[in-house]
Amino acid sequence: MGRLGRLGRRPRGETGAGPGALPRAIAALSRALPGGPSPETFRRAKFDLPEAVAELWSLLFSLLWLIHQEDKVYPRGPPDDLEGRIRFVKWVLHCHGYGRRRFYQLPEIDSQGSCELLLAFSWLLAYLSLPEQFLFLRCVHQSDGVWISSCKDLARCPVPLALGPKGRVDIRYIQWLLGKLRFHWRSLYASQQEQCTLLNKIHLYTRGCHSDQSIGHLSVPETEILRFPESSKQLLQQLESENSRLEAFLEWKHMELVYWQWMDTVLDASPGGMPNTGKQDVFLPEILQYCSPKYVIREMNRVQKNLEALRERLQEVVNQQRAAWHIKVSKCSQRLLRPPELSTSKKKEIQEAVGYELTTLDQDCGAKNCPCGLQRLVFRKAKEPNNSGAQSVTKVIQLLKKEEASLEKTLRRLQEECQQELAVLAHGLEGVIWIPPPYPRR
Amino acid sequence: MSVVTVQLGQCGNQIGYEVFDAICRDLHSTQGFCSKKENEVYQASCKEHFFNEDKSEVPVARALLIDMEPKVISQTLLKAAHSGRWKYGQHSHFCQKQGSGNNWAYGYNVHGPKHEESIMNLIQREVEEYDSLSGFSIIMSMAGGTGSGLGAFLTQNLRDAYPNSFIMNQVIWPYGTGEVIVQNYNSVLTLSHLYRSSDALLVHENDVVHKICAKLMNIKQISFRDVNQVIAHQLGSVFQPTYSSEDSFQYRRNPLGGFKDPALYTSWLQPSDAFCEWRTHRAFNKYEKSAALVSNSQFLLKPLDTIVGKAWNMFASKAYVHQYTKFGIEEEDFLDSFTVLEQVVASYCNL
Repeated sequence: MGRLGRLGRRPRGETGAGPGALPRAIAALSRALPGGPSPETFRRAKFDLPEAVAELWSLLFSLLWLIHQEDKVYPRGPPDDLEGRIRFVKWVLHCHGYGRRRFYQLPEIDSQGSCELLLAFSWLLAYLSLPEQFLFLRCVHQSDGVWISSCKDLARCPVPLALGPKGRVDIRYIQWLLGKLRFHWRSLYASQQEQCTLLNKIHLYTRGCHSDQSIGHLSVPETEILRFPESSKQLLQQLESENSRLEAFLEWKHMELVYWQWMDTVLDASPGGMPNTGKQDVFLPEILQYCSPKYVIREMNRVQKNLEALRERLQEVVNQQRAAWHIKVSKCSQRLLRPPELSTSKKKEIQEAVGYELTTLDQDCGAKNCPCGLQRLVFRKAKEPNNSGAQSVTKVIQLLKKEEASLEKTLRRLQEECQQELAVLAHGLEGVIWIPPPYPRR
Repeated sequence: MSVVTVQLGQCGNQIGYEVFDAICRDLHSTQGFCSKKENEVYQASCKEHFFNEDKSEVPVARALLIDMEPKVISQTLLKAAHSGRWKYGQHSHFCQKQGSGNNWAYGYNVHGPKHEESIMNLIQREVEEYDSLSGFSIIMSMAGGTGSGLGAFLTQNLRDAYPNSFIMNQVIWPYGTGEVIVQNYNSVLTLSHLYRSSDALLVHENDVVHKICAKLMNIKQISFRDVNQVIAHQLGSVFQPTYSSEDSFQYRRNPLGGFKDPALYTSWLQPSDAFCEWRTHRAFNKYEKSAALVSNSQFLLKPLDTIVGKAWNMFASKAYVHQYTKFGIEEEDFLDSFTVLEQVVASYCNL
């Protein structure tokens, strides 16, 4: 973990802020986060005072719990006891790749380690962009949305299987679970169909009602406000609190550097001196066990940025190589005889093979263009021109269908492999007749 | 959420009529012990599932009547219209003049492909009317030719056309000493085909219902009408709007979606998973209290095994098989069906 100042990505220098700047910065941060800390707690933590420990554990727990609520990390609900909460915080930080060993060695009581906790908090602040996260999480939505995930790793939720007597799972139980899953799927499908029809009706009926011409129709929340005008008071309150959060966030952003400079001093002052000068303890970030689309999408964006940077560098290298190759080839070809003509059938074969490879490549790249995450739904009649740069749902459906087709292909291939394996096994058993199922069940 | 009921063949149409009649009577019956508000919610929920409000204010059953002969359908349509409380839609039926001769192969390979387009169009038109489709409920008998053969064909088609919808088949199990000689062939072929496309098979055994009529209801001369009415009552009470377990102030929106955990106590399943209870405050059809049980258990093992056994014996001596090969059902198809059903029997034995 390098200098924390660098995490702020701004050059070190004068901020021109006075002595009261740090408490103001922390106060702004506190207003931008739910259940924010007080400047006094932070000061105590710098000096590793025990009074700050409980509050910092509590703060870390509540922030992490709120963020990962959608990920359904703990199926049973939040742990009430201090030990449980401490363990949860440690586990999540481990998954995110926080590498300070002293943190994990902290005992599960609330009397030690406030400085370590402060360091962990600041790391999270930068790594997860906490204020931005919470702005997004608690954002007031007045539009209709649909959640699109084309992530292949979506289905990673392990089901708690009841283990049988020998610690193994009964195959009949799994068959039953599959059946149950199928029924739940059918129910879900029916509900979603209904929701779509009703959304369509509302959008159609309210055409011409919206003040914004480019949208033109009301959304469901907006329609509800028209039906129940008293609820507009609640909306006003929500918007006002969102506004004050945004103001706090802006103030925090102005004063952020003060905080990071102060954190550098904390780092220097922390017990144990300079961190990890020798052997770096590497904790590999594990994907959280219960992966949710939002989490994966964040990671994907991160990875995508890195990939693009890598691609640019590669492109440079490729260009250089290509130029060198051209020179080489032109020198060689002057010396060589003309190569034999390829027969037309061979040419055709090569063309087809290359065409096939290109289309598969194209398909794989095409998935990148599919929008991910929460998307706003806006109604348009079929012939209207689309100026606002929005993606048409038909296109998105096409992309999703392509992905579905490729996933089904993979599934069938795996099923066939499985069947072949079973057939081989059954062949080895005496007196056993192997009858595979006749049709694939949907 | 609406359920589309497809009534197939003579049996399917007669029972279908009784089911809608029972539901309608229940709708209009007195509220019993529940409050007025409760009653209204119940009625609204029930109506939405099974009826369409017409301009004439007589509710129209969400049903399609299909048969290969005209007689039963016209009788059914008339009876409903005469009741004055409900009716079938004007264009909600499809019939032909020839019949199926109790031949599964004729229903599956001849009527099926021939009328596929018309029937599927009929269904599609009906489905398009609805805001929300809960699923399909197909009422058919196993022993005849239309209900069984055409029913199997239709279920497959529905599965292909609506891959994500819930499809449930109400299958009427014939009397053991039934009149149709080839009823066991028809049954075996029907069950094996339905097994692949349907989500749930709800079985009504004529023998069992007959006993109910005789012993519990003390009816002396038991007619098909009596049997049908008992079956309809059972079905109606199962389809009653029920509370979902989580939210006790709202009726479950999807009447078919609740059919996920039948009562089944096996070693590998927790009783809490296996038994699912749905409640309602208002008893069905003027009873003070009533309970209906849907179970997925080894109860079916004996009848199933009997039918498969008898069919196999007939098949082994090649009796009547030419009636089927004549219309394109080969011996291999029979063997496939036997295999599927033997697997089912084996699975149930090993519960």
